Amino acid sequence: MHRLTRLLALFLPLLPLSAAAQEPLRVSAIPDESPTELLRKFEPLGKYLEQAIGRPVKFTPVTDYAATVEGLAAGKLDLVWYGGFTFVQARLRTGTAIPLVQREEDARFHSKFIVPAASKAQKLQDLKGASFAFGSVSSTSGHLMPRYFLLQNGIDPDKDFAKVAYSGAHDVTAKWVEAGKVDAGALNESIWQRLLDEKKIDPSKIRVLWTTPEYHDYNWTVRGDLDPKVVEKLRGAFLALDPANPEHKKILDLQRARKFIPTAPENYTAIEKAARAAGLIKE
Amino acid sequence: MTARRPPLPALLSWPGLALAAAVGLSYHVVGGDLGALLAPGARRAMADFARGFWPPAHSAAFLSSLARPLAETVAIALLGISLALLLAAPLAFLAASPRVLATPGDPPSAARRAGWLAARVLLNLMRSVPELVWALVFVRAFGMGPLAGVLAIGVGYAGVLGKVFAEIFESAPRGPAAALSGAGATPLGAFAFGVFPASLPLVASYALYRFDCALRASAVLGLVGAGGVGVQLELSLKMFAYDEVAAMVIALFALVAGVDLLSQLVRRRLQRSRGLFPLGLGALRARALGLAAWALAAWGAARVLDLAWRDVLSPSALASVGGFAGSLWPPDLDPAFLRQLAPAALVTFAVSVLGTAIGALLGILLAYPAAHRLHALAGGARPSPARGAALALAAWTARGILNLGRTLPELLWALVLIFAVGLGPFAGALALGVHTAGVLGRLYAEALEEVPTAPFAALREAGASDAAASALAVLPQAFPQLVAYTLYRWEVNIRASAVLGVVGAGGLGGLLYVSLNLFHHHRTLTLLAVIVVLVTAVDLLSGALRQRLVEGPAERAEAHPEAGVPPVVDAW
Repeated sequence: MHRLTRLLALFLPLLPLSAAAQEPLRVSAIPDESPTELLRKFEPLGKYLEQAIGRPVKFTPVTDYAATVEGLAAGKLDLVWYGGFTFVQARLRTGTAIPLVQREEDARFHSKFIVPAASKAQKLQDLKGASFAFGSVSSTSGHLMPRYFLLQNGIDPDKDFAKVAYSGAHDVTAKWVEAGKVDAGALNESIWQRLLDEKKIDPSKIRVLWTTPEYHDYNWTVRGDLDPKVVEKLRGAFLALDPANPEHKKILDLQRARKFIPTAPENYTAIEKAARAAGLIKE
Repeated sequence: MTARRPPLPALLSWPGLALAAAVGLSYHVVGGDLGALLAPGARRAMADFARGFWPPAHSAAFLSSLARPLAETVAIALLGISLALLLAAPLAFLAASPRVLATPGDPPSAARRAGWLAARVLLNLMRSVPELVWALVFVRAFGMGPLAGVLAIGVGYAGVLGKVFAEIFESAPRGPAAALSGAGATPLGAFAFGVFPASLPLVASYALYRFDCALRASAVLGLVGAGGVGVQLELSLKMFAYDEVAAMVIALFALVAGVDLLSQLVRRRLQRSRGLFPLGLGALRARALGLAAWALAAWGAARVLDLAWRDVLSPSALASVGGFAGSLWPPDLDPAFLRQLAPAALVTFAVSVLGTAIGALLGILLAYPAAHRLHALAGGARPSPARGAALALAAWTARGILNLGRTLPELLWALVLIFAVGLGPFAGALALGVHTAGVLGRLYAEALEEVPTAPFAALREAGASDAAASALAVLPQAFPQLVAYTLYRWEVNIRASAVLGVVGAGGLGGLLYVSLNLFHHHRTLTLLAVIVVLVTAVDLLSGALRQRLVEGPAERAEAHPEAGVPPVVDAW
């Protein structure tokens, strides 16, 4: 029965006159930034993808990282912008999720450890006994990799920090550190740069303590049972985005991407290892 | 309400001293720091926050975008409470003491006793998991959206409704049912015609009251992704768009107040119609109409939310929920994890104690001016117009503050207070305190106004000041009532405190949030079990304290079921 409905869902869009031809491609993204920001970022990209695949594209903002994983696994979402860790979770859940493309910079991503400007801390070890803010529990650059590198540097967040809190999103982490509500925090370097560029935070009140080594982060992932033709069209559309084309440049700038490059599940085995080492993936 | 034993010394006897010690220790455990609240940084943060709130967002586009989430919030509450009633009805029947239907001299059967025990245990389980925790779990099981909210309210409230209904049935006169059983009626028949009619006005009134609570709860459930206006609220909070938050809070306030008023009207009519059987066709028709209206509203709500039975009962839905439930077992008993639990449970417990204490203190301070009727009795003479106006102004201000505290749920207060005093359990305790003050303050004020006024008037006549007369003549009389309210509220607060961790206030809620987000389902099960144990322990402790403090040992034997009290108290 299940199979049959899926088959129908696959073939109905191919009938040009059927109402199901208007069945939209359902897209979402992990809420690592405020959902209005996500919606704004996605709008031109969504229009571009709509043209490329000849099918409406519907973006649904969510407030919960884990919900995007559940959504893809339950077949309620077709295309999702994942962080490295949420991709690994989705891949473990479904076994078939396909990572399509990543931004060029996602292949060499970093997290920033930030402290208030007046903080006495000069190196990671000075943070022992501090209160510390991660972003979302499910965030790669806001939780997993910072936790992993802290452990690598001999700091166990659960034991060595006085208090560990999850702000829920990178921009909230920055706000908390800026307001001195926590002694330190870790966040995504690209969002850190945007907050500085847009003067959302005051650089005289906050400074970078440490930058992590590089790792693979974000990608666009489709569910494994999506029509392969649609998958190829989507991949092609992302790869065809050309920074020399002003239209495309606008889309890429909003995605904070120089360009998109193909990616593969193997790129994320290091993330999975880190997640197991940090105890975030069990069994 | 008369004092049966000299009440104030109770504070100096061991329960009072133990209480003071518990509050002190809790302050220490949650890292309390009143200085942080007054530091210039905190004041600036609060001022920024307050400035952000004003003026509320009022563009036409934004306001019209609120209509849909608000309608969803009402629909979730309505469907949730309908589901709760469906679940609670059979459970309450089973959970009412077997003696209710036993024919005199004929002990209840073993099967009946087993049913009673099972229903009690099940109701207690449903009740001890806070509805927000139910929502968190159902969001994982069914995905985000209003269905999780409906189920959370349905299951969580069925626990409360079932327990209270059972108590109402138990307090109904036994005669009619005994007569029917004696005449050979089946237990169900004896119940339907002997117990139920007498209980109906109280049952209906309590169900309506719970609908008010469900509406407030459904507004918050969105914070964990369970649909309604809470989703929007969280988005706006995350964007620091406080003007939008303000607009939503005002809209919610109006909605809740409107429904409150409506349900109060209906409840008052129900109280007056207290009778064994509907008197005549007119009353019967009114009841049938009421039921039909409810059913129609529930159907409409399901349409608004776009929910259908197949979302819950289709094979694929059941399979996915079964899969989730199966993945919970077995509980995680890893020693390293278990070691984290005791400190976390202690924090959750301490937050509930400190929050309740802060709430009680603020509540009584605000209840004093809010008890307007009391001060108007200026020792027999009518107060001068100027003094009367000042008293009325003070009363309205105090009531306004109490209303604000009550309308915003503790989760929202916590998000605000985190910016004032920093992350952690202290912010949670303060948030709980502010909200509790709103609830308790109103109840305290009502209790103060209801005591016999003769002693107060006599003291005023003899020249005592208003404050002195209140402290000596009113407080002692109202004391048992105030203590009972406070302890009931503590039982509500331990549930709230178990959830506050979701917004960074630590404790069990924090661990639960992490385990749910990382799909560590075995840990989730362990945490749920710990929450149930902690909540049940607090319920028992509070019940014991209530007996000791409120009813003297002599009266304990004749203590009657306090069916009238809990309904008001667990309003958030």
